[in-house]
Amino acid sequence: MHGEYKTPGGKLVAVDLEVVEDRLQDVMVSGDFFLYPEEALTSVTASLEGLGVDLTEAEIAERVRMALPRGAELLGSSPEAIGAAVRRALAGGAGADGD
Amino acid sequence: MTEPSRTSILDDADRARWRALDWRLLPEVGRAPALNMALDEVLTERVGRGDRPPTLRIWGWSGRCVVLGRFQSVRNEVDEAAAAREGVSLVRRISGGGAMYIEPQGAITYSIYAPDALVAGLSFADSYAFFDAWVVDALRGLGLDARYVPLNDIISKGGKIGGAAQARRAGAVLHHTTMAYEMNVPLMMGVLRIGKEKLSDKGMRSAEKRVGPLRQQTDLPRAAIIDHLVGSFRKQFGLMDDRLSDGELAEAERRVDERFGTRAWTYFLP
Repeated sequence: MHGEYKTPGGKLVAVDLEVVEDRLQDVMVSGDFFLYPEEALTSVTASLEGLGVDLTEAEIAERVRMALPRGAELLGSSPEAIGAAVRRALAGGAGADGD
Repeated sequence: MTEPSRTSILDDADRARWRALDWRLLPEVGRAPALNMALDEVLTERVGRGDRPPTLRIWGWSGRCVVLGRFQSVRNEVDEAAAAREGVSLVRRISGGGAMYIEPQGAITYSIYAPDALVAGLSFADSYAFFDAWVVDALRGLGLDARYVPLNDIISKGGKIGGAAQARRAGAVLHHTTMAYEMNVPLMMGVLRIGKEKLSDKGMRSAEKRVGPLRQQTDLPRAAIIDHLVGSFRKQFGLMDDRLSDGELAEAERRVDERFGTRAWTYFLP
């Protein structure tokens, strides 16, 4: 499943995932955002792995926010944008690439 | 992350920061795409360690390629079958941002490798404005109404001219910018996947309308634009001609073998 969210005036974040027994699995977070340090992406992705499919956008955003290492900076996107992309993926790809 | 960014061009305080450093120029040399990626990391590290003075490098390209941003997924950005058919290679850079389709004479790319003291006290977002200010001034010198648009775009009335990206390594910051000189729109559109969501707040119907290549905007040869940019930098901040050392080149070539030329790196996000 694939969902995307572009922050107005900012960057695109895409989330690819599978759902197994109502939990997110094999999550990939990608996009044209900036993230410092680069390795923080691993923490962001890990924070989504295993989450229940019924979490709200805000709840997902909170998990992402907590997972970002101290001092990490996400530019052009946000935990909320990642939450929105996850919800879109789960809703069947609204905001995805036209298909 | 949401603080307002400066949109002014270079002011006296900024100019003093630039002039306080002893800048070197690495002129354009055509290099393989993966070697260009590796050189960015090696030179940033060396400037961070104080093993190389602050440097402006003009890129040369030995072939067509797509350069993916650090966090982009291959399948979301590239039609690999089309790329293979057209002889377009695929590489991933160390900085974030978006995919670029590059033809050797179609792009003007430069990197600035600076000690992080150059942008001390600036937020990440403000440092983009800082690094782009001189080139916006230089483009204005060519008669364009160029301006910086947060976070990382350089635009004019004629369209988007280019985009910048940064990466940080211990003690140093890399700021590189690619500007469109001339576009092969059909090939670019065939190789890059440009989704509707990406264009959702641009108010435009196609990617080609977003870009205003410099050839179209200036009617100048590519080399003349590069000379003008380098000359502007030299005049304002000082710039001594330099070349890559054998050690730098050897280290970058090793880094291609170990990392930037490997499938594990390029397909880090498949």
